[in-house]
Amino acid sequence: MIFPADETKPIYIQIAEWIEAEILKGHLLPGERVYSQYKLADRFTINPATAAKGLTKLAEEGVLYDKRGMGKFVAEHAREMVIHKRKTHTLKKMVTDLVQEAERLELSEAELFHLIEDEIKGRGNGE
Amino acid sequence: MNVVKAQSLTKTYGGKTALQGLSFSMEDHTITGLIGRNGAGKTTLLKTIAGFIRPESGDITVFSEKPFNNLKVSANTIFIEDYMNWPTSLQLGELLQEGKRFYENWNETLPERLFDYFNLDHKALHKNLSKGKKSTFNMIFGLAARCPLTLLDEPMTGMDAAVRKDMYRVLLKEYIAYPRTILLSSHHLEEVEELLEDVLLLDEGHLQLHLSMEELREKVIGLTGSRGVLELWVQRHRILHTSFAGEKEEYVVVENGFSEEEREQMKRAGIAISDISPTNAAVYLTAKEERSIDDVLEQR
Repeated sequence: MIFPADETKPIYIQIAEWIEAEILKGHLLPGERVYSQYKLADRFTINPATAAKGLTKLAEEGVLYDKRGMGKFVAEHAREMVIHKRKTHTLKKMVTDLVQEAERLELSEAELFHLIEDEIKGRGNGE
Repeated sequence: MNVVKAQSLTKTYGGKTALQGLSFSMEDHTITGLIGRNGAGKTTLLKTIAGFIRPESGDITVFSEKPFNNLKVSANTIFIEDYMNWPTSLQLGELLQEGKRFYENWNETLPERLFDYFNLDHKALHKNLSKGKKSTFNMIFGLAARCPLTLLDEPMTGMDAAVRKDMYRVLLKEYIAYPRTILLSSHHLEEVEELLEDVLLLDEGHLQLHLSMEELREKVIGLTGSRGVLELWVQRHRILHTSFAGEKEEYVVVENGFSEEEREQMKRAGIAISDISPTNAAVYLTAKEERSIDDVLEQR
C-alpha cells in the first residue's frame, strides 16, 4: 500500500459526480427525470440511502429539483451550474496542484505556460 | 421506528466480559455493519438480539419486546450463522418448505431462481454440503425469509470470491425489493462497505461507535509531513497510527476534528491530507493502541 495515497471519495460524492457527468455529456437534459435512489443503488451495488444522499446533495445545490412523489428532475440551467462549479472548484484545485508540482520541480513560469500551450496545440492537431 | 434498542447491555461468560454496557438503537429499513475484531463480542450481541441468550444486566428490546424466549421476536427475526442447526433428516427442498410454513413473508421465487444458479440440489442434505455451499444455502434461506429483522453473522464464510460478489448483489436486490432491517457482521468490510448505511463498531465488548459510513470516513484523517510540523498540528488529536513516509517525513492517522480553515493552514504548512476509507478507519479505530505489529517484530 502506498501510504499517503488518497483513498477513494465518499460514494455519495461519486454518485453526485456521476450524475453531473451525465448532465455535462448531455445524456440528461433539463426537465428529464433522474434515476431514483433504488435504480442507482441497483446499478452501482450501493446502499439506497447512500444513493439518496448523492441526489439530495445535487438538489440542495439546485442542479436537480424535486417533484413531490415523482422523484428528482434536471433543473433548467443544470449544465451551466455544473460547469460553473467545476470551473471554480475542481479545475481551480487542479491548477493549484499543477502550480505546486511545478514549484517542486523548479519550473519557471514561462516553462509552465509553454507546457500548457503545447498541450492545447497538441489536442488541436489531434482532431 | 426503533427495531432494536439496547440499554447498558452486559453479558459475561465464565468471568470474561463479552458485552459491556452497550447502548444503541437501530432504525427500521437500514443495513448496518457489525464490525469488530475476533472476540469483540459480535456473535454474542447477535445472539442476544435474536433471543438465543439472555443478557445479564441492562435492557434489550426487539420490536419493543424482550427477545429472550419470545415468539413474536422469533417469528420476525432470522439469525443466519455458520453453526446453524438444521434438522439432519430433511433435504434442502424440505427445509425450504418448512421456511415457507414458518415465515409469513417467505419469498418462494428467490430460492427457485438461485438454486440452479448456485448449483444447489433440492434433494441434498445440508450436512453433506461443502462449507461454501452451506453458507450459500443459509444465505438464500435467510433472505427468502424476508424477516423484518435479519441478522447475518459472517454469512459469506467459505464462499469463493465470485459467489460472494453475486451474493452481495442478491442481498441488495432483495433489500430494495423488500426493505427490512439487516445487521451484518463481516470480516470483509471492504467488500460490504458500499452496501452499508451504518456501522456498529465493537471493541472488546464495548460499543466504540455507531455512525453512518460517511461519518466513519470523516472520523479519521491521514496526514503526511515532516515530523516537526506534524507535531504542532496533532497535539490535540488522538494518534491512531504512524508509519514511515520518507527520510524526514511521517504519515500519521489521527482522529479528525480539523476545521476547514485548519486544513487549509496545514496544506500551506506542507502537510498532505488524505482521506481514509471506512474499512481502514475501522481498523485504525479498533487497533491496539499500545503496540503495533511492527513493535512486536522489532523486539527480536
